[in-house]
Amino acid sequence: MIDCTRYRQAMLAQPHDADPALREHRESCRDCNLFTERLLRFESGLERALRVALPDAAGEVVPLRARSPPRRRSFRTGWQAWAAGVLMALMVAGGLWLGVPGSSLAADVATHMQEEPQAWRRTDLPVPSAALQSVLRDSHLRLAAGLGIVSYANSCGFRGHKVPHLVIQTESGPVTVMVLVHEHARKPVQFDEQGYRGVIVPVAGHGSLAVLTQGPDTDLGTIEQIAHRVQGAIVWTQEPS
Amino acid sequence: MKDQVGGNHKRARFQALCQSLRPDLLRFAFWLSRDRALAEDVVQETMLRAWKAQDSLLDEAAVKPWFLTIIRREYARSFERKRFATVDIDELVAQEEPMLAAAEEQNLAELRAALFRLPDEYREPLVLQVLMGFSTAEIARELGLTGAAVLTRLFRARKQLRVLCGEDTSLDPPE
Repeated sequence: MIDCTRYRQAMLAQPHDADPALREHRESCRDCNLFTERLLRFESGLERALRVALPDAAGEVVPLRARSPPRRRSFRTGWQAWAAGVLMALMVAGGLWLGVPGSSLAADVATHMQEEPQAWRRTDLPVPSAALQSVLRDSHLRLAAGLGIVSYANSCGFRGHKVPHLVIQTESGPVTVMVLVHEHARKPVQFDEQGYRGVIVPVAGHGSLAVLTQGPDTDLGTIEQIAHRVQGAIVWTQEPS
Repeated sequence: MKDQVGGNHKRARFQALCQSLRPDLLRFAFWLSRDRALAEDVVQETMLRAWKAQDSLLDEAAVKPWFLTIIRREYARSFERKRFATVDIDELVAQEEPMLAAAEEQNLAELRAALFRLPDEYREPLVLQVLMGFSTAEIARELGLTGAAVLTRLFRARKQLRVLCGEDTSLDPPE
């Protein structure tokens, strides 16, 4: 049995550690639960802090690089010249890309939620079946029966792709599910962002799944359980990539 | 003709790989060096070395650690080339102020300044874990440490960072 000190030491080293022993302790200890919530909030800020947006316009690259002494290189062969060309292209493309403020996947999911606040209402009215099927079909999946009432379904633009944005009415209230086929997660990540709390779980061969609730009332353990239920209910109609 | 097509395909793949990884590599180099200009230099040199050595990349799934290893070596080489003066953290923070500032949130700017103040031995594993998504085993491999040593460093990194940021640490465990 793990004690509070061991639990908090482990969490400070790996805040997203999904070890069942840690989870069990957290669920049985109010202080450690509180500690975890504070830590995850801090962690979310840390992730955003590390993703610095280099305030770089393409044109700025040259003067900045001039700060270092130029190195002499002779481009004698074709591939070297090509590599230099690639680098120049990357400097420009990277500079432009980095001009956009960087943000984590969780932060982007939370930001997207603010664009569709109407989706969060509590209701026992399901979205029309044809509308739901249309949203799911576009992403090559369907939902097995028994998941609960799907009260909202929309194909949303997210990071350059159309993704299903669903709201499922659960015993814990409305829960949003975003099926992020194009976003590959290496491991489950819990987050507490901009008033939304949830998890992003990897889905083998199909990117990841974001499952979240609004407000602080639902604990992360419950959201994880819901995420597993959703994952179990998804039937993919296309082979994994 | 066939060789040329294969060569073009290989180049295109490499280019796509570089393009997708470059932002994170730049950020990693920035947090490693705490110097934007040096980070740009290191990443540029890394790309060139990676291109030359691409045949040694046997497993494309391992491309990120492969690039990071080159970045770390290249960063170490920059120390061999130049003799750096003693680091004054306040000066570094002031110099990189535009990078550290986050107009939307004052907290983020403070957190970034606190990251600058973390000792290298704590900052680097933390960046590998949080920014690059490395597991403890991967960090251990990259830094040549044991898993236990990595966990200790990560624990101390967050503990110090939270103090530096003025977080409520009343529930934090002792070392």
